[in-house]
Amino acid sequence: MPALPVSRRQILQISSLLLASTALPALLAAQQAPAGGRLVVAADSEPKNLNPAIVASNGVFFIASKVIEPLAEASFDGKDGLQPRLATAWEGSGDGLRITFKLREGVTWHDGKPFTSADVAFSALNVWKPLQNLGRIVFANLEAVDTPDDHTAVFRFSKPTPIQLIRNALPVVSSVIPKHLYEGTDIATNPANVKLVGTGPFTFAEHKPGEYYRLVRNEKYWGKDQPSLDEIIFRVLPDRAGAGAALEAEEIQLAAFSAVPLADLDRISKVPGLKIVSRGYEALTYQLVVEINHRRKELADPKVRQAIAHAIDRNFVVDTIFLGYASASTGPVPKNAPEFYDADVPSYAFDTQKAEALLDEAGYKRGSDGIRFTLKLRPAPYFNETRQFGDYLRQALAAVGIDAQIVNADSAAHQKAVYTDHDFDLAVAPPVFRGDPAISTTILVQSGTPAGVPFSNQGGYANSALDAIIAKAATTIDSGERTKLYNEFQKIVATDLPLINVAEWGFISVASDRVLNIADNPRWAVSNWATTALQP
Amino acid sequence: MNLIHKLMKTPEGAVGFIILAIMIGIAIMASTISPGDPLRIAGRALVAPFTDPALPLGTDRLGRDVAAGIVHGARTSLLVGAAAALAAIVLGLLVGLVAGFCSGIVDEVLMRVVDAFQIVPGFLLALAFVSVMGASLPVVVLAITLGAWADPARLTRAQVLSLRERDYVAAAKVIGMHPAEIAVRQILPQALPPVLAISATLVAAAILTEAALSFLGLGDPNSVTWGSMIAEGRNVLRSSPWLSILPGLALIITVVGVYLLSEGLAKALAGDGPAMQGKLRNGAAP
Repeated sequence: MPALPVSRRQILQISSLLLASTALPALLAAQQAPAGGRLVVAADSEPKNLNPAIVASNGVFFIASKVIEPLAEASFDGKDGLQPRLATAWEGSGDGLRITFKLREGVTWHDGKPFTSADVAFSALNVWKPLQNLGRIVFANLEAVDTPDDHTAVFRFSKPTPIQLIRNALPVVSSVIPKHLYEGTDIATNPANVKLVGTGPFTFAEHKPGEYYRLVRNEKYWGKDQPSLDEIIFRVLPDRAGAGAALEAEEIQLAAFSAVPLADLDRISKVPGLKIVSRGYEALTYQLVVEINHRRKELADPKVRQAIAHAIDRNFVVDTIFLGYASASTGPVPKNAPEFYDADVPSYAFDTQKAEALLDEAGYKRGSDGIRFTLKLRPAPYFNETRQFGDYLRQALAAVGIDAQIVNADSAAHQKAVYTDHDFDLAVAPPVFRGDPAISTTILVQSGTPAGVPFSNQGGYANSALDAIIAKAATTIDSGERTKLYNEFQKIVATDLPLINVAEWGFISVASDRVLNIADNPRWAVSNWATTALQP
Repeated sequence: MNLIHKLMKTPEGAVGFIILAIMIGIAIMASTISPGDPLRIAGRALVAPFTDPALPLGTDRLGRDVAAGIVHGARTSLLVGAAAALAAIVLGLLVGLVAGFCSGIVDEVLMRVVDAFQIVPGFLLALAFVSVMGASLPVVVLAITLGAWADPARLTRAQVLSLRERDYVAAAKVIGMHPAEIAVRQILPQALPPVLAISATLVAAAILTEAALSFLGLGDPNSVTWGSMIAEGRNVLRSSPWLSILPGLALIITVVGVYLLSEGLAKALAGDGPAMQGKLRNGAAP
């Protein structure tokens, strides 16, 4: 990547301005999009459970979101940042104890049965709240769902629940599954978890393990003239180097989620007929985080944590590891969550001398071999970038006299070591910011989470002031008040450093020029693709 | 010395010996040739080879010196290769000796264990072992040993079975020598040559296994290995192929060197033939 004088963020801003100014023609183009065609997409994993109501993760959504729909989807310009899907309107009561959803009429499941409020009530109470990884938190106080008629669902909460949180969480936590197929069965092992039945624009046709998933057009979809495509094939290509080659050979037309390695983008961008798109991931911000085990005597000292923060060159991380496709973090809330983001927090410039001074002050002088102390560093294996950052962090710490020994493990062993056994001093993690700090961000620093919960605070950090703010924000109804509390939350995290936020990044799609209407919402890769079209 | 002299007379042996000598020299001198941590960030990322005199072979994705990686990688590769082969031979000799010498139930049990290890592909065994134990140099050495000791054990046992019927062994028994002494002092030296002849092959196989483990991310992440360098380079194979090619070449040259040496060794031993065997026997017999 050539070092451009403008940042990626600026480019994004400019491109979104351009997008806004051309919104009308773009809309027309969307309507005139050619109908039909088969889109072949690279998929890099085959989730064991494909039910997005149970497993709310991007790997599952990537395929399942075309079949099973949420109540609302994220939107660039819609009210509250949402566009209606299965719900057409939502309203919270003043006391935060109830939220009323008006549901879309005339929607049928892929097996022909009508979609009603009973499906929503069943999904919420029997799946989202007890079984779903994120719903457990968001719907923790959900008490009952009333269904006064077939197209109204009233969520009742035992404690005030901010409508702001529910709204922000809707695209991720509210995938509705058919009650008539799940009721009275073991939901976790229901066959419909792998052969999906939903209301979405595509129906699930087949899955050949190790080869592909095939989705076909839902002729009875409620969206007018939607979807455009006849068929979507998810070709399983676990080898990341393979996706780029498959695009060039025109075997596939789209590789999302940075399936093409960043280092290959420069070359791919010069291939005629292919385009590189960095939009469509705005609501899926991944954060590069150094998790800290506060049980280690050295790391329990805030000075040592500050020294580590000063030892990391965020520009190097952004420019060399992410090749510019990322931006430096200031705190636990990313910049592209403007509703909550607060820039006014302590920052840690790259300064090895300051880091060394802080370590000396903390009483950890360099020994005769130049080493102050030794740490066990576990980089998460999920992305090339997390592993590379692990290699970099080891070198960055060596420069200030901390000897970090890397321990590699596969995903399962890594999660067990960090989140269950606490067998780490530092770990590199890529948590996701999902539009609201209460969904999957506060859990990274709040105390009291039992061992074994992945992507939570397992470093033994406990700060009662921070816990109090998190608890208060969880039941604060007023959006302004709530945002203020989260500003305070960001300040405390950036000052006390329970973990160190290094960078934040979205993903890159590479697509054939023939693929139209990609990236038309901030969760495009995991949305329903009803408008996506293919030029013959 | 005589053996080395004979070895140098065969073209394979001479070439193999020189290649290995150079590689071992590089491995021993690694810290002098390129001091400091070979994994430290030495310059800009992705400098092409032969463009910057300070970084003769260029840098990788993070700006680490490729030349330093190859030099220090030689140390890891040869160390693991030699240590694993040595451990496999010692273990194989012991098991083969005991099985062959004791015979009966002990032989049966030990040979079934050997069978069990021979059935499982060595690489799969190493893969499983490292996944469970966690990657570090001693674990990798042990993992490779597990897949490699069965062959020398079988070979030793076969030798011992034929040797134990010899007259001089019977004579040693008659003069009241302790069985353990007979096994170690009378039989072992005779059983050694064929096992040594396959040792070079074991070293080459161990180096390749180590590289494959590192390539799959199961090597020790805190030391450079050629396998991990090749794996890292794979991500940028289309734009910066040298990152995989250079450590790949180092690996090929080393393994070819070891194989040539083993070929030469076999020829030298065979050419020597009965004379050599006789000399060994005379030297060893009391």
